[in-house]
Amino acid sequence: MLFSSISFLYYFLPAVLILYFIVPFKFKNAVLLAFSLFFYAWGGVKYAITMVVAIILGYIFGLLVEKYRGRKISKLFLFLAVASIISFMLYFKYMDFFIDNFNKILGLNIPLLRIVLPIGISFYTFQIISYVVDVYRGEKAQKNPINLAAYVAMFPQLIAGPIVRYADVARELECRTHSLELVAAGARRFIIGLAKKVLIANSMYDISEIVYKADEKTVLFYWIYGISVALYIYFDFSGYSDMAIGLGKIFGFNFLENFNYPYISRSATEFWRRWHMSLGSWFRDYVYIPLGGNRVPKWRWFINIFAVWLFTGFWHGASWNFILWGLFFGVLLVIEKFWLLKYLEKTRVLSRIYILLAAMTSFMVFNINTLGEAFQYIGGLFGAGGIPFVNAATLYHLRNYAVLLIFAIVGSTPLIKNVATKLANSPKTAKVVSIVEPIVLVALLVVVTAFLVDSSSNPFLYFRF
Amino acid sequence: MNTKIKSIIVCSIMALFIFGFSALCIFMPKPEFLDSERREPEKLPALTLENIMKDGKDYGTSFMKLFDDKYTPDNFPFREAFRKIKAFIGTYVFAQRDKDGVFIADGYATEMQEQINKDSIDHAANKLQFIYDKYLKDKGITPYVSIIPDKAYFLAEKNGYLSMNYDQFITEMLAGVDFAKYINIKDSLTIENYYNSDTHWRQETLTDIAGLLINGMGGNYDSKYTVNTLDNPFYGVYAGRAPKPLDPETIYYLTNDNMQNIIVTDYQNGGKQTTLYDMEKAYGKDPYDMFLGGELSKITIENPNAKTDKELIVFRDSFGRSILPLMAEDYAKITVIDIRYQIPQILLNGVEFENADVLFLYSTLVLNNSFELR
Repeated sequence: MLFSSISFLYYFLPAVLILYFIVPFKFKNAVLLAFSLFFYAWGGVKYAITMVVAIILGYIFGLLVEKYRGRKISKLFLFLAVASIISFMLYFKYMDFFIDNFNKILGLNIPLLRIVLPIGISFYTFQIISYVVDVYRGEKAQKNPINLAAYVAMFPQLIAGPIVRYADVARELECRTHSLELVAAGARRFIIGLAKKVLIANSMYDISEIVYKADEKTVLFYWIYGISVALYIYFDFSGYSDMAIGLGKIFGFNFLENFNYPYISRSATEFWRRWHMSLGSWFRDYVYIPLGGNRVPKWRWFINIFAVWLFTGFWHGASWNFILWGLFFGVLLVIEKFWLLKYLEKTRVLSRIYILLAAMTSFMVFNINTLGEAFQYIGGLFGAGGIPFVNAATLYHLRNYAVLLIFAIVGSTPLIKNVATKLANSPKTAKVVSIVEPIVLVALLVVVTAFLVDSSSNPFLYFRF
Repeated sequence: MNTKIKSIIVCSIMALFIFGFSALCIFMPKPEFLDSERREPEKLPALTLENIMKDGKDYGTSFMKLFDDKYTPDNFPFREAFRKIKAFIGTYVFAQRDKDGVFIADGYATEMQEQINKDSIDHAANKLQFIYDKYLKDKGITPYVSIIPDKAYFLAEKNGYLSMNYDQFITEMLAGVDFAKYINIKDSLTIENYYNSDTHWRQETLTDIAGLLINGMGGNYDSKYTVNTLDNPFYGVYAGRAPKPLDPETIYYLTNDNMQNIIVTDYQNGGKQTTLYDMEKAYGKDPYDMFLGGELSKITIENPNAKTDKELIVFRDSFGRSILPLMAEDYAKITVIDIRYQIPQILLNGVEFENADVLFLYSTLVLNNSFELR
């Protein structure tokens, strides 16, 4: 089920809210779990069974790791837990990728398994791993299987993150506060995220598809494609994160932020401190640091960095595009660490142009199905193939989406947030903001509903994650 | 205003909206017909174990997917009002000039035809060539061909929308059917010949065009008609797709005394006798279907009081349905063939070509997307 759907907004959400808030606290996690399983099963009943099996494994291994903590066997249970959970991902997500590449390299003809990828498997497997590792590192194991299952399967963050680490919500699973202030803040955040997804991300997707399907491409068309894809991925992903964080607040959880205006970054290093922060910190804490981080010989450090970025790319999808995408950032980060960063810090304009270009081209590789086509599109940015710079169709579509592109570009900077915060904090305007805010929220909900009722496209970015 | 009061206001308004519409979704009676979209809303999908267990490539037909994508949007309370809101935001806030290629100019809604589809032209020409080679060539019959431009021809370029080159389109099409004699009606048509919200042309404006066709085939057109009004609002195909709401229109249809004795036979439905204007369909889902009974693959129009004993065999698309009644006075029998629904070998079984004019009458909409021609 998608947050950006009538089914979620006007059937599922009211039902879960009513039940959640009328039951006593001790049943709230059970209600959340029941609705989360229903939410997940809505996308395919068999997927839910897969997830339940993964949760049971996580629960058992968590108890075993805690029971034998400090002894060598605890490490063995940790290894078994991680291996079994990773094997889920390997089987469901990567098996056909490996078979296909084995076939190509060795000239074999092993038939593909055509396994259907369970939605969100990359998110919930990482959460289970984080749980077992956190227990190994000293966190108390969760004795109540409902609480653990509620943590893993919690519908707000189940299919598109952020990746919530067990240590961050362990206390809230046992005891959390609910308040009107939190519900209001959550609703506000949810509606903003919903609007980002439905109004901006979907529109950016639409124009990128117009360009993609155009028979006659131009240089300007390729630039529109690059910009719209970068904005689409950002608004879709950050919109989903906003919705997850908002829903979390409504149910009394404080999920960590996942995006912080990455397109204002001045280096790839900064970009990854602002983009999908929960994934970056997960890889840092559960892969990079255990590998030794930067406290190892230089050659090992290189390997550590590239391993992390290889995995980061591969985590996003079983395709060479994603691997290349991850390694591209690995290369940029190494270049920055050794040479470029000190120059980037001296300039405010060039550094931003650099990261915007880097991010845009990387997301073209990310979004296009084949590497060959991705390189064709990147070449098209610079007129490769002798294509014209512009034609009537390019100008027409640019004009048609100009306002939305401007909305999206401005919305990807903190400008609107800063202005709103300033107005809300100013004694002269605070009262007006208080009155206007609920009106704006309802207006956004009405408009979003209108766009969902008469929807022409509602893409789901995470089907390969 | 302190934070608590502000939170109470936000929570109350949100709760009212979400729970209110949730209750309406569940309890409000569902619409039987979506007027402006000219279709029935999606019914609640069958709640069976098989439909629930579908996943992977079958997920698209599962209960869940149909519920999400079809049932809930179609049956949402005040759907039409929300669609108008979307159109308003798209046009006035996002300043978008079209909605999925449909635009409104000079009060008329139409769809951009951006590019000439050469493969489609070739396909259409090949199909007409086949008919010529098999049925007409040996009999020495030279068929006539006439092409009806779609509304974008009149509206797109001059209003800054993307447009194919219609002159080039017609030149290429005619080159593919060089065995036929061209009757140019394009230059005599204006946008006023068409409905505002529909692709089709208005019958009450077509007497001159009917005259051009009849005279172009050697006849002498002088028919006169009375204009009748259909008292059923007509929402054309673009009414539900245009970037702004469009008002319903009125269908007018032409009659005269000569039409009283015309016999229309519907061969698609076993030779059923029918009429030039199907008044049952006039009050149905698509009132334009009143003209010659809608999309039928083969009918004949026999006029015992015709001015001549000649016959006409017309290969046509939906545009032909409204103009052919105006040509019935000039032919003793008109055989109307639509090869979108059946192969010509079956439709032309038993059709006599002697003493007959043959006309290929197609719109640019069909010729540029002709792969349904069989």
